[in-house]
This record gives sequence, C-alpha cells and structure tokens, in this order.
Amino acid sequence: MKKIPHIKSVETRYLEQRETLLHGLARLDRRGFMKVSIGAAAAAASAGVVNPFQSFQPVHILGIGDADAAQPGFTFAYISDSHLYARKVNDRFVRQLLRAVDDVNALNPQPDFVLYGGDLAQLGAPEELELGAQILKSLKAPVHMMVGEHDWFLDMGEKWRSLFGKETYSFNHKNVHFIVLMSVHEKDFWTARGMSPADRMHTVAGLDNAVQSRFEVGAAQREWLKKDLEQLPKSTPVVVFSHSPLYKYYRPWNFWTEDADEVQAILAPYERVTVLHGHTHQLLTNRIGNIDFHGMLSTAWPWPYAPQGLPALTVQMNRPNPFDPNDGLGDGTINVHPDGLVDALYQLWNRNPIDVRATYLASGGKTDRPPATVAASY
Amino acid sequence: MTKSNARIRLTVATGVATLVASLAGAAGSAPHGALDMQAQQQRLDGLLANSDPLHPANIDPKIWLEVVSAKDNALTPERVALGRKLFFDPRLSADGTVACATCHDVSRSFSDRRNVAEGIRDQLGRRRSPTVMNAALFQVQFWDGRAASLEEQAKLPELNPVEMGQPNGDAVVKAIAADAQYIAMFHSAYGRAPNYPDVGRAIASFERTLIFLDSPFDRWQAGDAQAVSEQAKRGFDLFNTKGRCASCHMINGANPLGTDNRFHNVGVSARHQNFEALATQALGILRDKQGAAGTDAIDKLALTTDMSELGRFMVTKNRADIGAFKTQQLRNVAIRAPYMHDGTMQTLWDVMDHYNRGGETNAYLDGGIEPLALSEAEIDDLVAFLFTLTDRRFAQENEAAYTAQKARAAKERPFRDEALAQRQVLPFEQRVFGKPTLH
Amino acid sequence: MGRTTLRSLVPSLRACAIVVGALILSAATGAGADNANPAPVNSLHGTKEVRLCDNQTTVRIAQNTPATRENGQHIAQALMTKWEAKNPQAAKDWVAEENEMHEVPPPADNHKLVGTGQNSTYGRVTAKDVEIWNRETYKLAVQGSQVFHSGAQLGSEIAVSCDMCHPRAANTHPETYPKFQEQLGKVALLRDMINWCIEHPVRGKRLADDDPKMKALEAYILAQRKGVALDYGRH
Repeated sequence: MKKIPHIKSVETRYLEQRETLLHGLARLDRRGFMKVSIGAAAAAASAGVVNPFQSFQPVHILGIGDADAAQPGFTFAYISDSHLYARKVNDRFVRQLLRAVDDVNALNPQPDFVLYGGDLAQLGAPEELELGAQILKSLKAPVHMMVGEHDWFLDMGEKWRSLFGKETYSFNHKNVHFIVLMSVHEKDFWTARGMSPADRMHTVAGLDNAVQSRFEVGAAQREWLKKDLEQLPKSTPVVVFSHSPLYKYYRPWNFWTEDADEVQAILAPYERVTVLHGHTHQLLTNRIGNIDFHGMLSTAWPWPYAPQGLPALTVQMNRPNPFDPNDGLGDGTINVHPDGLVDALYQLWNRNPIDVRATYLASGGKTDRPPATVAASY
Repeated sequence: MTKSNARIRLTVATGVATLVASLAGAAGSAPHGALDMQAQQQRLDGLLANSDPLHPANIDPKIWLEVVSAKDNALTPERVALGRKLFFDPRLSADGTVACATCHDVSRSFSDRRNVAEGIRDQLGRRRSPTVMNAALFQVQFWDGRAASLEEQAKLPELNPVEMGQPNGDAVVKAIAADAQYIAMFHSAYGRAPNYPDVGRAIASFERTLIFLDSPFDRWQAGDAQAVSEQAKRGFDLFNTKGRCASCHMINGANPLGTDNRFHNVGVSARHQNFEALATQALGILRDKQGAAGTDAIDKLALTTDMSELGRFMVTKNRADIGAFKTQQLRNVAIRAPYMHDGTMQTLWDVMDHYNRGGETNAYLDGGIEPLALSEAEIDDLVAFLFTLTDRRFAQENEAAYTAQKARAAKERPFRDEALAQRQVLPFEQRVFGKPTLH
Repeated sequence: MGRTTLRSLVPSLRACAIVVGALILSAATGAGADNANPAPVNSLHGTKEVRLCDNQTTVRIAQNTPATRENGQHIAQALMTKWEAKNPQAAKDWVAEENEMHEVPPPADNHKLVGTGQNSTYGRVTAKDVEIWNRETYKLAVQGSQVFHSGAQLGSEIAVSCDMCHPRAANTHPETYPKFQEQLGKVALLRDMINWCIEHPVRGKRLADDDPKMKALEAYILAQRKGVALDYGRH
C-alpha cells in the first residue's frame, strides 16, 4: 500500500480546493455544475452570506481554457434501499429505482463505480431480486453490491449469492481499501416459534416488529474483518459499506448494530475510516472517535428521524411531503479525497443537493454545516 | 434538431390558432388579432354590470381585505377607472399597437387564445398569456412568479422588447403625460402627476375588479344539487382522489382558485430541453444582476430565449426549480385554451392525457407526477367537472368551447399514451433501457 | 374484518367445559340417579370419559374423582388444553400477539375511580367496569395497529402499509389536528389526512368516516402519541 504524504492541514487543503473549484472549471456539466454552485456557495458562506447551501448563487465563470483542475481523489455513486416488489404488485418502487439509475447514468463524468446499498428486494423473493438485478445491469459504471435484511431473510441469502456473489468481501480502489460487510445478521428467533421462511421474512420486513432480533455483524465476520485488515498499513484510508449503521442509534427500529462497539474497536486503529450505511432511509451523519458515518438515501420511501438517539452531528433533512412519493429520497455521490477523507453529496429528488463534507465532521460540526432544517420530524 | 422542430411546431400552431381565431369570428379590428378596444370595453361593462368592484362576491371578506388587497394601493373607484383607461390604451407600447388588452382581450377570456403571445412588430414571445380574470387572487404573478404583486407585473410587459417594447418607464409615461384627461385622472386617483409606479398601481386596481368566481360548481357547493351533472360530480370526486389533481389544484372554500401558489415541473415539453445546458447559460448571464436589474434580465430571457423553459429556476436559482412553472388557476379553464406555459395542449383532453401518462420524464420532474391509470370514462368525467368551473357570464362561450374541444379530441389525442398511463411501461424506463424492455 | 370464528368460540367453550366438569362430578357423587343429567359420560374400567360440547374433545378421569370445585376446574382446563392443542390459531390472544410485534401503549388507568360514584348512570364504579373499559379501549387501539401494519387491510394496490413511512406511528403528529393541511388545500382532521394517505402513498380506497377500520387507525395513532400536548394548527 502506497503511503499517502501528509502535507497540509485539513483546513488549508479544503480552502485550496474551494479556490480550485471556483477558478478552474471549464465545462459545467451537470455534476460539475453542482460542484461549482456548492463551491460558490461555500465562498459566499465565507463572505458571510446566510444559508449558503440553500440555493445556487450565480457563479462567476472565468473564461474557458484550462481543463478541470485535477479532481481531488475520485468519486463513486450509490443507490440504496429500493425495496422492490414484483412490478405488477408495485410499479412506483420500480419507477423510482429506474429514476435513480437514470440519475447515475447521467452523471458526467461517470463515477468510478456504483455501490448498491442493500434492500434491493422488499420480501426477498427471487422475482424481486431478479427484477432489481436486471435494472441495475443498465448502470454504465461497474456495480458493487451490498446485502440488506430484506434481501436475506426469505432464503438466508441463497438467491442473493447466486445473483451477486459473496455477501462479505473487500477490494481496493485507487488508494482506498473498501470492505463490504453483511451487518444484518439476526439471532434465530424463528425456529422456536415454528415460523415459515415467509413468516420470518415478514417479521424482519417490519421495521418496528419487535419479534425479530437486533442486527449484528457476528463473531465470525468480525474475525474475518480482523484478518482482512491485518496487513493494511494504519494510514490506508478504509471505507466500510454496511447495511446497518455500525453504531447504536435507535434500537426499536434496528437502527442499530448490536456488536457495534466490537466492530468499531477493530476499525479504530486506522487513521481514516468512513462507514457508509443503508437501512435508515435518511440523511444521517455521525462521528465516533476517528470513524465517520454517513447514511444513504433510499429510493423507495423515507423513514422519519427516530424519537431518540439522533447523532448530534446530523442536521436533519426536511420532513418529506407525502404527496410527492419522491420527496426525501434520491441517490448520492461520494467524493473521496486523496487522503481518504470523504464528502457525502446527497442528491435529494426535487430538492437542492446537500453536501456533508469531511471538514464538517472533522471540525465537530463547526464549519461547513449543512443547511439548517426547516421542518424537522415530529 | 429537436429545438428547431419545436419552433416550427410553435409557429405552425400559432398560425393555426390565428386562423381559428379569425374564423371563429372573435377576431377583431385591433392589431394582433385582438378585438377593438371600444368593443372590448362594451363587453366588459356587460360582464361587470351586476358586480360591486370593491367587494367581489364569493370571497371571504377578511381574506380579500388582508391577503389580497395591497397595503399601499387601497381600492377606490378613481384608481379603478384610471387603471381601466390604461389597460385599454395602446399608446403605452412603442409603436402604439399593443395595449394590455391586446393579449388580455376581454372577448378572449382576458387572454389571447394563442400558445405564445404576439407583441409589437408581430414578434412572438415564449409563453402563453395568463388570464387576468381572478389574477388578483394569486400570491405571485407570471408563470415563474417573478412579480410579487399585480403592481409589479403591470410594469414589466411595457418594457419587454417582444411585448410592448418601450425602453423604460419614462418613455411609457411620456406617451400619456400630455393627455389632459390622464393628468386629471392621476391626480384624482393618486394625488400626483402621472408616473410609472402609479401606472402599475392603477392597472392593478382595475385588475382587482375582474373577479369571476360565480360558476355552476360554486352553486353546487353552495347547495344546489342540480347545478352540475352527475358526471361532473364524479369528475370532482376523481379530481380529489385517483386523479391526484387536488394536491396542486386544490379547489375549495379556502382556495377558490384551484392553485397551491407553488411551482412544479410537470414535464411539459421536457423532452425538448437540455436543462443542464440552459441552467448553466442562465446562471452565467444572471450572475452579476441583483434586484431590479435581475428581474429585468429574467423578464427578457423568459420571453425571448430558450431559457424560458427553465421557469422558476431563473428566479430562485434552486436546482429543485428547474423547469418548474406556477400552478395555474382552474377557474374558467374551459374557455382558456390552449393550455400549459407554452400553449402546446389544445384541449382539456390533452391535458388529461399528459397527466395520465405521468408527464414527460426528465431529471427534474416533480415526484408527485406519476401515471394515473385513468380510464376514458374517468377522463371524460374529469373534463366534465372542469367545464363547470366557468363563470356563468361566459356560459355560451363555455358551450362553444365544449363542442369545439370535444370534436377536436375525437379526431386527435397527440399526448395519449395508454402504455404509460396504465403503467405497462414506466417513466424513466425508456431513458434507462433505450426502449421499453423491462418485461 | 377477520376475527376467526375459532377464536370467538374460545370463551363459550371454556364456559361449556366448566359446566361439563361440574356436572360430571355431581353425577359421580350423587347416589341416586339424576336421570335428567345431561353430561355425556361413558364408563370404561373405572374411568369415565368426559366430552366437551364440541362432541370431539375428550378426557378420561377416574370414576370416583371427588367432586370438588378444584377438580371440576382441572377437568375443564384439561379439556381446554386439548382443544387448544388441536386449534393453535384460536388459542392465541390476538391482542397479545399483535402487541408482541408492535407494542401499543395501554390506555389511561382508571382504577382510582373504583368504589366511587353515585346514582344509576354514574353509579358505583367497580373493578370489573374498569377492566372492561381498559380492555375494550385497548382492543380498538391494537386492532388499529393491525390495520396500520397491513397493506392488505388498507386496500393498498401497491402493498404499501402506513408503517412504511410511520414506524409505530412515528411522525403522524395527531396532536396538531385540526390544521390547514397543505396537501388538501383546506383544514383537515386526523381522519381526513389518514384518508388522503390511504389514497395517495398507499394507493387504496379511502374509508368512510365511520368505518370501523378508520376508527381503529385513529385509536392506534392517538394511543402512540399518549401524553403529548395538543397543539392544533401546528405545521
């Protein structure tokens, strides 16, 4: 693993990157257009303008000529939590996944890869998983899959494995080590009750169904994780994909990983760790020790914020409007800087995008705060 | 490419519209196809014969006084009279051919029955002329809400190069300042010499008298069960349920107009637009312009360039507003063809087809727009309901419009797409797969 | 809506079992013939078979089992256990079952009213009264939980249920009604918004205002928000 040179302070680096964005842009493609706007907004923020991320400020474009300044790091996109039923059962969820695929395919330039964040199917049925697989095939960028509980508990992962391969794996991309975990194991609650596979799946499918167990990574997988990280230099950036949050947010809704503390302990020695998780269907930001946590948006439906346990760093996205079945939903792009720090750009449908930057987390919430919430969850 | 096709379609459609208008006999002897100003005013007298201009019927008086009325422009008969005179006066335009009433013609539902308006020197704009009827009840004016009030709105078309073409407000005032009658009326209305802000105020005052909310629907809601047909009643029910219309076009005691005063991209003509390129272009032009200069710039871009299609985005610069236009009122909708911001839909059946199929897919489509799976009978019911929203003073025009639209819809339904409407093909499916292949 | 017929039999079967138990014992001890004895008894080597009124479930007891209340209850219980083993669905308390999945807060405790009251309408409140009030109120809320969590019961065409956006009725804020509901463009009560949600996100058919399901849904939503101060009109 190449050692990443540590040159400047985080703050200086980000200031410089903002300048680069403002002055170095040649083409304003869709993604670039937003980056510019956000950069401009950030500049406006530093000039004291209120609510800089609420709208795009007019951008001062300085001529054409030099190509895009060297993009820091790389970008990948995510789509998550589509909860597909068979098409004839629910067309709306299918349409929404198609919209996300359209969004990602329209990104210019294309992301390095796309992460699918789990819960592709709603009831783990083969036809649901196959429908999802077929739609995701039309993504132009390569896809890395991650499993969610809705995909798993009908047949304990059989169909998932046959379609997408192992549920736990790791890979390297550029200078970052990526780990994909199956973090939604549950202790057996179904055998004693004599449940059928369908019953078991229905139980797990209910977020608020108390009969199921709490999510966990499990001892076996924690061992695997330890081994996987063994040879990795501590300075290598690590990004963990997990369906459950890998921390403890709200137990009754399984916004929770039972062995989170153990998993965090295994990750703690590494200088730059980011966890990207699904399941929560909302904008979520947390930092525990040196680990940054970002929740992914869903394409199917938004969850409200839990009554307790909301991480202090999270600036809630606005309460979704139920008339718009796309509100509070979307997809996202993750910008990975060369030093492995991560900005999470939430591409909310029919809303302005929200960029949760590494500087925000690193500063403990003091700088680059996302736009204030107007209407919070009740 | 698609853009030139669109322009050709627009030109052809305009031509057809003009032809139809002249054949219909409503065309008159004023320039640009309007009815003669005198004749218009006579019609107006007839329409307003039984109404009290200062206290319109069918509106909660508290809302009228506190929400609708302007704080610095209390409604008086003098101001209404002055505004009326200005409204019908073509001298306000650069070549003396275009008055407000040219595009907001009393005999053409206070609009012009065109897909895009025609101004001085026969130049065409980019958007349909909204009706002045009930416009006082909107929270903002124009398709993109760039004018916060009627007063603001009334000061912009005079200065737009393709509408009335004056270089500035002073030129407008100069055109009328020598008229002794105007001088007297300005004095009695506002106590001062003619000036441009008062021109806006006076026209706004006149427009506040144009309230037309006395329709069969209102009579039905007030308790007359015979006022509308059973079909229309079914249509109203669909409007509030399966049709999903009510969430943007809610129409009830609190909202008589049938609008939520918000802006939505419902995917009209979206297939022709490269929104990203247009947005970039617009941001580049508008970057340094604030306040009045900004509004002025938007006014010009909105009516003379392709950036018109960005709608509300040019005003707010919010990505969420790309391609979004103000929810229009449904009052008297049946006599206000053609429909949508660019007038591309000729009949209410076309409008139903558009929504039934889930609009035109684009990356900024309002998420509330989705295929509705309405049947033909249900569409007929909805249209029947919409025809009950026409003020009784226009009953004859309403009948004629029903006959004309029905005949036209029987011949062609260009926006109809059963596969999309019945959800056999889904929005975005075509863009993702290139062709519908999901089955 | 579906209470299974088996479940509703349970109370009457229990009663039947108790009666049978009692009568058998009285027949056993009664020296003389009580020819009008209706209890079905067959003797077999010093035992007799006791049959439940479904005419299928039986237990065997010793011929000379003493006729105590306690033994009568044992026989009744034995019959019921056998019957429940054959009918596992009916045996479960649907309220407890629903509660195991989705805890529903219990209604207010009215026990301090026991023993109070005067005259006929608000006469002496007994412990039984309080139990019944509690149970019946709770049942409506729990029934609401069932409907709330079931796309099928809501009539959804797209298999969507309320709990998908509102786990345990989170974010339903019933305390803010009546209020001007933007999506309806007018002032709405809670049940207006419930119906609107049924029509649009759930894509089902709206319920009549007095539909038992609507009442149950309201009961559940209000139960979940127990203790929150009313604040009508809040957005």
